Amino acid sequence: MEVLERLLNVTLVIATIRTTAPILLVALGGSFTTKAGIFNIGLEGQMLVGAFFAVIGTIATGSPWLGVLCGIAAALTLALIFALLVVSFKANEVVVGLALNILAGGLTVSLMKAIFGTRGSIFGHGLVGLPALKLPNVKDLGWFGQMISGYTPLVYAAFILVPVLILFYNRTRLGLYIRVVGEKPEAAEALGISITRIRYVSSLLCGLLAGLAGAHLALGYTTMFTENMSSGRGFMAVAILIFSNGDPLKILLGCLLFGFSDALSLRLQTLGISSYLVLAVPYLVALIALFALSYRSRPRVIQETLASMGRALSVKSNTVKPAAATDASKP
Amino acid sequence: MSLAIELKSITKRFGSFVANEDVNLAVESGKIHAIIGENGAGKTTLMNVLFGLLQPDEGEIWIDGEKKSLPNPAAAIAAGIGMVHQHFKLVPSLTVAENVFLGMEIRKGGLIDHAAQIKKTAELSKQFGLQVDPNERVGLLSVGIEQRIEILKVLARGARIIILDEPTAVLTPQESRELFQTLRGFVAQGMTVIFISHHLEEVMEVSDNVSVLRLGKNVASRPTAELTKSDLVQLMVGRLVSFDRLPRTPTAGKTMLEVEDLWCRDDRQLQALRGVSFGVRAGEIVGIAGVAGNGQTELAEVLSGLRPSSHGAIRLDGRAITGLTARDIRAAGVGHVPGDRLVRGVDRNASIAQNILMGRQDKSPWSKHGIIDRGYLQEQTQTLIKRFDIRAQGPQSTAKSLSGGNIQKIVLAREFTGGGNCLLIDQPTRGVDIGAQEQIHGEIMRQRDAGKAILVISVQLDELIRLADRILVMFGGTIMGEISGDRVDEEEIGMLMAGVIPEPRSNTVGAA
Repeated sequence: MEVLERLLNVTLVIATIRTTAPILLVALGGSFTTKAGIFNIGLEGQMLVGAFFAVIGTIATGSPWLGVLCGIAAALTLALIFALLVVSFKANEVVVGLALNILAGGLTVSLMKAIFGTRGSIFGHGLVGLPALKLPNVKDLGWFGQMISGYTPLVYAAFILVPVLILFYNRTRLGLYIRVVGEKPEAAEALGISITRIRYVSSLLCGLLAGLAGAHLALGYTTMFTENMSSGRGFMAVAILIFSNGDPLKILLGCLLFGFSDALSLRLQTLGISSYLVLAVPYLVALIALFALSYRSRPRVIQETLASMGRALSVKSNTVKPAAATDASKP
Repeated sequence: MSLAIELKSITKRFGSFVANEDVNLAVESGKIHAIIGENGAGKTTLMNVLFGLLQPDEGEIWIDGEKKSLPNPAAAIAAGIGMVHQHFKLVPSLTVAENVFLGMEIRKGGLIDHAAQIKKTAELSKQFGLQVDPNERVGLLSVGIEQRIEILKVLARGARIIILDEPTAVLTPQESRELFQTLRGFVAQGMTVIFISHHLEEVMEVSDNVSVLRLGKNVASRPTAELTKSDLVQLMVGRLVSFDRLPRTPTAGKTMLEVEDLWCRDDRQLQALRGVSFGVRAGEIVGIAGVAGNGQTELAEVLSGLRPSSHGAIRLDGRAITGLTARDIRAAGVGHVPGDRLVRGVDRNASIAQNILMGRQDKSPWSKHGIIDRGYLQEQTQTLIKRFDIRAQGPQSTAKSLSGGNIQKIVLAREFTGGGNCLLIDQPTRGVDIGAQEQIHGEIMRQRDAGKAILVISVQLDELIRLADRILVMFGGTIMGEISGDRVDEEEIGMLMAGVIPEPRSNTVGAA
């Protein structure tokens, strides 16, 4: 009981919200490309340059908000290159995405070396993070108030974006057209909706949120930049996007699951369990959950093997059914 | 009598190929005007010109007495023309109302006003007698209803002249009749309908006027009442073609193919066959009729070994072939002409000779000691090209360079010379023009007379009536009934296709 109490309490909820926010932002960004029918594996790289340039921007201007804008601009540039290659030049989206991820990793490391003369991480140099928001009058709400107050602004932005995106896809023309382009391009074409334009817009909207996610990672979640600091969040987002099919609500659930296991693993470390094992927990949990949830879209071989095993077990019921059904169909 | 549309001397060329040559067409307003012709006669090109999808090289388009230029479909829509394409362009995850208003959403304060769209859709649906539920998701609906939605889309855009491209190809006879009633409703409200078809009965039944295109020219435009079905065929093909049941002598021998209580599931794991039993005797053609999607495809796949059955038995000449692989079933003597020739019938990028060889490349005399005998292959291919009248430059032409009818003939040439005693033929003449249809039907009859057991699956009822000794009607994965080929009652087949068991005709029996 004592162990459980140490694990599950309001601080775990708070930690979950904190760890969920960056991956939620980037996954919501990916929702645009997923809905528009683009498999965007380049989220990781967009997030990474977003983080790096947010830090550079903040150091240069002294304002973390201008830093956020720099981060977004950098991610948008990468998203524009992605769209140019994938939408206009019809290059393979996986190859382009991977290439841009590698570019982002190399670019941030070498720029760091060139500008700061170091490798590893950047902090100090007058780097300031985004201020935490204390919501007014939350003291009266007790533990709930504690739970919803005191985060940096982009955490709120991430969660508010979920209902905004639901509204966007269901009630706005652009949202509707993005869905149509992804689901039935020939229908879009027949109605004179430009597939190219919609895919560009989706890619850039994706870059916008991925940049925001990166900026949050560097200026909200922490106040520093480290090499490869996105550490696979972009790829986890891709996995979540595959099973959620880009639906904002399902994305939120997937990200919460990931955030929860991430927070839990931090907590487990305090219990003295090997940190290597513990660090694998969030990825493991998320992958198992994703596999289970996306079972229906798994390769047919696996499904058919399971189905035929099931059939072998239910031979009896199968032989009864035909007779009953044929009786019913006869006049 | 005013003209809704007048096309004057329309000529459309694609390179050196002339798709439409000096076509004049006058469509009276408030009438149903049918346009018929063989595949490649230029019907679709002409309609694409009229809908602004293609620009004519010469000629003028007049709509409601005004000369118009139609640079794009938007201009045609603005001129009051609407087109219902053969292939529907609906988005499955959207509702009926969302699909109807896609591209012209009703908005309030920047947001799509779903309530208003639903209301308008319901109004249109009521006004024109096209029953749909505006809230339903399109992915859950049948093809017949999808077509209604396509028509509603056109109506919502204010069309007064509606073009339908082969609208009945996917419908049951009953659904077609409902469509015709709707179309009559349109003309009663003063609208004009242009109806493209190559189903002659339908044209005779529904149209006021008919124009026949042949080789890109308009060879006749007349009131339908002045023409007979055989006049139309003669105009379409340019010579006499018989559409009657092919003459035959009863030759049925012992049962070759026997199917007993066969069950299987489709790709979505839903029951596709629910206890199908029948037999096909040597020298007999058994036809399988039904609306597409009632288990016929799955039946052909199970019988040819491409899909596992979950229950039941298949016997060939008394020997169980249930659960064998496609290769073993072929080896046992079953030839299979698949429903989709480009997916399973041929390799589009391979030559005619290679396609003829496929499946027997390891058998003598086609190959010796594992090496293909090119000389023999070449010679056999030449012979088959001649026998099946495959129009191609030579044995080395790739399959994709040929027309649909000629590709189909390659498949038939291979399967009919496989040496088996049983043939599964799924859609023998889908998308094949009348001249080639005649040849294919003749070849199938020759196979019958040679004593093969033949199962023909077709969505074209007239084809089954021509060919089959017996017709089995499938609905919902079961066989609803059997009809002898020489006493076909289309009404009865139509009822069975729709899943209704017809009442016995002789009411007096019950009284006695």
